[in-house]
Amino acid sequence: MYEAVHAHPDGQSTVARYAKTAADYGFEGVVVRNHTDSRAAYDAEQISETYGIDVVSGLEIRATDPQEAGGSVGNYRSSQTILALHGGTNALNRFAVETEKLDVLAHPMTDRGDINHVLVKAAVENGVRLEFNLSGVLRKSGGQRVRVIQSLRKLKEIVDYYDAPYVVSADPTSHLELRGPRELCALGEQLGFSSEFITDGMTEWGRLAERNRHVQSESFIEPGVERGRYEEES
Amino acid sequence: MKHLPKHLQPRWRYLAVELESWPDTSISRRDFQRECWYAAQNLLGDPGSARADMTVIRFEFTGKTGEAIVRVRRGETEPARAALSCIDEIDGAPVGIYVCGISGTIRAAEENYLGRRGQDSEERNVVFGNEERVAVLRECVADVRLDEAFAGATDLDYDLA
Repeated sequence: MYEAVHAHPDGQSTVARYAKTAADYGFEGVVVRNHTDSRAAYDAEQISETYGIDVVSGLEIRATDPQEAGGSVGNYRSSQTILALHGGTNALNRFAVETEKLDVLAHPMTDRGDINHVLVKAAVENGVRLEFNLSGVLRKSGGQRVRVIQSLRKLKEIVDYYDAPYVVSADPTSHLELRGPRELCALGEQLGFSSEFITDGMTEWGRLAERNRHVQSESFIEPGVERGRYEEES
Repeated sequence: MKHLPKHLQPRWRYLAVELESWPDTSISRRDFQRECWYAAQNLLGDPGSARADMTVIRFEFTGKTGEAIVRVRRGETEPARAALSCIDEIDGAPVGIYVCGISGTIRAAEENYLGRRGQDSEERNVVFGNEERVAVLRECVADVRLDEAFAGATDLDYDLA
């Protein structure tokens, strides 16, 4: 199970602190999802070795319009393992689900963003994961929280119907906002999501990272093309 | 009033909880108990809150870390865990909260799950992000005092000044 975090300077804690806390809580990895305007500097390998937890490089593209977002996708795709888009407006949500190069559409329902069957079908076609962002449930209260829960349930109904890929995250901005996997499962149960659903969404980050690392590695040529065993290295 | 016969007494489970915050926060048992009730009421509603019956039994908070034991009814541990995870701040201080285990007795909860973290912390000058700062160190983690806030870091991120 993986958690996607906003590290210093985007959040309040460094990647190493997240990694240590997440390892204590029983996560298998952390995905760094800093926004493009405040990227973190860290040595993923050293942190991963010290705390025994996988550290995945990533970015959450924050843009005002699809053109700008498109430029950022081109800039960062080759250097980052996981690329997410800061969703929330209809134009950006639409752009994200139609862009094959993006991995995750983060919090599509925040602010005034919305999701419908057309977008979810496009997400299935392009393999873009929709994010279930639990931060609103964990850290808001009153009417705002009710809205967040309503939107999560709506998203779940559509995602279930089309069997769309999804990820789950608590979206922490400091190590204090990190919650353990069992806590998130218990919370999911209260919201009407099964704990398998939540676990699956947290594991999906790991599967994404593994797939992208394979695709970005030098041994990868093209989908379906592999180096044959008869070829001799000269 | 005469106490209930044993077979009618409620069955309890004890959640061993670890708390963490930024340095220099003080949280009292009463504050934590209030937040537990609020969180349970907000997430589980009044009936759910009554079913779980969350009570803070032991509470200790020094400096920036703390430990607590929360008593809940048997069979209601998962809703209680969910409610606890929704506590994000106590008295305006942001807290990290983690249920490290559940036991059937207070003693087992204490012995198996609590008291494992070092409590000693010290203030040192460190170099963090090319600037000299004051940090509160405990074991290998550090909370670095920035201009208006703290930054959570570990020994990989700073150099001792």
